[in-house]
Amino acid sequence: MTPPAPTTPPTPVTPPAPTTTQSLVPAPRKDAKDASAAPKRRPSRGRRTALLSVCAVAAILVLATTALTTGQILMPPLTALRALIGLGDSGDVLVVQEFRAPRMAAAIVAGAGLAVAGGLLQRLFRNPLASPDVMGVTGGASLGAVSLLATGASQTLIPLAALGGGLLAAVLLGAFAWRSGLGVTRLVLVGLAVQAGLAAAVNLMVVRFPAELANSALQWTTGSLYGRTWTEVSAAGGAVAAAMAAAFVLHRRLAVLDLGDDSAGGLGLAPSAARLQLLLTAIVLASLAAALTGPVAFVALAVPHVVRFLAGPPTAGTLALSALTGAVLLLGSDLVVQHLLPVHGLPVGVVTATLGAPWLLVLMIRQSRPTHRSFG
Amino acid sequence: MTARADRPNRTNQLSTHGLDLRYGDRLVIGGLDLVLPGGAVTAIVGPNACGKSTLLRGLSRLLSPAAGTVALDGADIHRMPARSLARRMGLLPQQPVTPEAITVEALVRLGRYPHQRLLSPWSATDQAAVDEALERTGTTELRDQHVDQLSGGQRQRAWIALALAQDTELLLLDEPTTFLDLRHQLDVLDLVSDLHTESGRTVVMVLHDLGQAARYADHLVVLQEGRPAAAGPPSEVLDAALVKAVFDVDCQVIPDPETGTPLVVPRGRARRHATAVAG
Repeated sequence: MTPPAPTTPPTPVTPPAPTTTQSLVPAPRKDAKDASAAPKRRPSRGRRTALLSVCAVAAILVLATTALTTGQILMPPLTALRALIGLGDSGDVLVVQEFRAPRMAAAIVAGAGLAVAGGLLQRLFRNPLASPDVMGVTGGASLGAVSLLATGASQTLIPLAALGGGLLAAVLLGAFAWRSGLGVTRLVLVGLAVQAGLAAAVNLMVVRFPAELANSALQWTTGSLYGRTWTEVSAAGGAVAAAMAAAFVLHRRLAVLDLGDDSAGGLGLAPSAARLQLLLTAIVLASLAAALTGPVAFVALAVPHVVRFLAGPPTAGTLALSALTGAVLLLGSDLVVQHLLPVHGLPVGVVTATLGAPWLLVLMIRQSRPTHRSFG
Repeated sequence: MTARADRPNRTNQLSTHGLDLRYGDRLVIGGLDLVLPGGAVTAIVGPNACGKSTLLRGLSRLLSPAAGTVALDGADIHRMPARSLARRMGLLPQQPVTPEAITVEALVRLGRYPHQRLLSPWSATDQAAVDEALERTGTTELRDQHVDQLSGGQRQRAWIALALAQDTELLLLDEPTTFLDLRHQLDVLDLVSDLHTESGRTVVMVLHDLGQAARYADHLVVLQEGRPAAAGPPSEVLDAALVKAVFDVDCQVIPDPETGTPLVVPRGRARRHATAVAG
């Protein structure tokens, strides 16, 4: 096709000369770099995401090392790392391998899982408030755990019960929301109702708990990383890794779903089925995370917004960056809980909520400029 | 694009047989038997709410028939795997959703979805199809720009490029000229016409403007309350009686001075207005 003849008016309107006071939009720079790149291309957003990911990995390494070296017994990083692989003083090995490392790994696994779950849900529902906390999944996981505590069964079964509860909440959600397909608005509204009901049930059970179980129960109302074991962490870690691989394999479908149901259908994607697959992936990720930590607030909700603020609109790359950022946030928050707060034994959910709420408010205010209609 | 001519068995003829399309309890299309010739440009026209967009949704499998079938070269499209149908039939919906801050090229790349397997990497064929789609729609220079910052005409060309990257022999367009000014309407229709003449694509589009439909279509389907009031070459079916019967508009149908195709010139208020001003 021949491109249409440009309809330039005979006398081109000269733009007003930009003055320093009025040029809110930066004038195009005319430096040598721009001139040499003949077909003008934007600086790659992918490169920026990659750079941020490298920073996040570095942050995880630093925080993880800190987590291994600090505590009631301080040890130099090298000693801690040697202890991690079973070398050195047996006391150090015990402290690092049995207490610090699982807790650190749990923070990474749960933080990454929650953040990816939140990122998937927000994009799937085109709703910036969608997150497992809102969809009933964390409520279901908590109810599963608390119910198990109430029966007095072995506490090692708690993660399984939480996973079961989360999936049960998802089934409830699907059953109530399904009406010849999974519509977006309906899912969000039903999710809110399911979450409210489940949270109420959790609170009811916790209130009626005997005093000696009150502390364990508290974890399932706010979320904590205290006392994770390798058995729990490795099981959940493997499952989270598998679910995340599924999320990245399904990412192409997510991108097609972004075009709306009609276009997706025209491209040979059944929108409801694809949405269900992605929804299940997100629910499994969130349930597994909640099984490790309890309902840690704000990670799933806030991390995708932080990543969008830093790296731009969602892509497969920013989903990976979300996983890393979630790990940084939860790991960092847990270190704050353990070492920087005057009160000991606070659940990590208190810190993530305290950090997350104002940060999210700032982002929302920044984004409510007309060019960023994220609530559209 | 490639390997289009050497598939003689495919005429890309769409047909409906006793097709019922419903929204809930409301029957929009009832018992429709229609043949849309392969290798031609078909325009579907009709008054508001006559079911033309619904028909297009039925033809493109977005809407399942309550009864009857839609067939592509004789094969029921509802029995085909969704992806194989999507490799033969592309669709541009009336109001597609533009993802936030997506670039033109990223948008057009999504058109390759039906050609990609779950884990297959982006291939040279995919890139070639995208480049050609950008080229044909004149959007190569816009490839790194954000779609939501383009003008209406540019945005529509980007969406058509997505449908072209899908590399289908059949293209369904739902009111592709809506919300565009006259210049961009003609650009889009000329592009569609080129796609037909240069690469033999079969095009089915819903249009509002009778004159444009008559100009650009080889085959015209006039729908009225879910039934075909007329179907055939525009010069044979479009006359004053039909326009009166379907649109309830008194008019003359004269040969278009540019193309010789039928041109609908409504009678009525305009003349009264002119006399009022004169008097």
